[in-house]
Amino acid sequence: MGLFSDIYNTVARFFRPQEDQVEGASKAVAANRLKLVLMQDRTNLTPKILEQMRGELIDLLSKYLEMDKELLELNFEQEGEQVALMLSIPVIRAKDEDEIEEALKSAQTAESEDDTDEDKDDEAENDEEQKNNVQEESQESLTDTPSESECETECELKSESTQNSDSEKTAKPKRKTSSKKVTKPEGIEDSEADNTNLVQETEETNVN
Amino acid sequence: MTGRVIVITSGKGGVGKTTTSANIGTALAKEGYKVVLIDTDLGLRNLDLLLGLENRIVYTIVDVIEERCKLKQALVKDKKNPNLSLLAAAQTRDKSAVNAEQLKDICDKLKEKNDFVLIDCPAGIEQGFQNAVAGASEAIVVTTPEMSAIRDADRIIGLLEAKEEIKSYKLLLNRVRPSLIKSNDMMSVDDVVEILSCPLIGIIPEDTGIITSTNKGEPIVNDENAMAGKAYRNVAQRILGEEVPFLNLDEPKGFMAKIKDVFAKLKAKV
Repeated sequence: MGLFSDIYNTVARFFRPQEDQVEGASKAVAANRLKLVLMQDRTNLTPKILEQMRGELIDLLSKYLEMDKELLELNFEQEGEQVALMLSIPVIRAKDEDEIEEALKSAQTAESEDDTDEDKDDEAENDEEQKNNVQEESQESLTDTPSESECETECELKSESTQNSDSEKTAKPKRKTSSKKVTKPEGIEDSEADNTNLVQETEETNVN
Repeated sequence: MTGRVIVITSGKGGVGKTTTSANIGTALAKEGYKVVLIDTDLGLRNLDLLLGLENRIVYTIVDVIEERCKLKQALVKDKKNPNLSLLAAAQTRDKSAVNAEQLKDICDKLKEKNDFVLIDCPAGIEQGFQNAVAGASEAIVVTTPEMSAIRDADRIIGLLEAKEEIKSYKLLLNRVRPSLIKSNDMMSVDDVVEILSCPLIGIIPEDTGIITSTNKGEPIVNDENAMAGKAYRNVAQRILGEEVPFLNLDEPKGFMAKIKDVFAKLKAKV
């Protein structure tokens, strides 16, 4: 049988040379590898930092959403003049208010307890919580709307300060690299800032 | 008269900076403009070979800087075209024999009496590059549709962008092989332009004629029939401000392809 299928494949390939070439095209591979490596060159973002970013984003977002962490994708894409940070997360479901509050509280306590192993603890606790929450959910009632159950959201953290240097806008064509420092630090700082704000807010509500 | 000073650079070696310099210089001179080519690749000079002037060089750029001769004495006139002259690099010295200020000074002097000063930059991003770029106000970045060349070109573009003196830079895509692009095994012109987001000034097809022209010491622009020569002449036209469409690099269709076309048309009609 193997022989026959081999013969069939070779004959088929002879009649469909175009398709095979497109599939195995080394050009697309080259272009994609290049885009990634150039983005790293231009932004000075090492794979290590990207991984760290990914981890922190997961930590942050898992307070609000239950998602498939394995399938989370973090990529840079060029959109015309701008560099966009594309975050693709398969969302399993959105958490409800109580859960979010709880997650925030536990994150805060973990932070205050020890600063050294904070990340690992956070993750572990969050995982546990999520499991518990899922169980509770299923026991009580399935209040979530079905539309929320399996949707893929795409967050776009667009770099804003590409328009910074008006003075340099002379005859030179503008290049995407001008957004170098933007995406990474601001994105993280912002998210952290938001995070702490939220924590503070919930604190107040608790006191009340 | 204030001429234009254009540096031809690439980052990566072997992509065709020197060939490009020789050909654009020759093409501009043929159009009647006064052109000086400066070889700044100290210790590894080759521009003289491509122009077939290797036996005529008496003084080099280092002799000018160290005042062993006058600038005019060091300019070697081309065999065929009196509009074209070469300021050769020193072969026995290295890049540290010259600094950026000295080169800028030479460029400033040369552009007073010439329409174009073309600087052939050495590979790399070290002192040699900094020297070559110092006197220029325009740049042509040479690259090929290969990953390493494109990555290095990106780096160079980043460095050029940071330089205030460089008012504009353009991309020249060299050694393009249409058959490989067709089979999706080479990045297309559009791919490269998109990745580097840099305006294009020329597409030069891979041409075996380049090898024979180097052997003879005669730039390929002098060959009226060669594709690469035509492409380089078009680049010269674009430098002069003409709008010249890019060459259609599709190879003439073979017999089978023509038959296929006929069938495709019949099919479309049915």
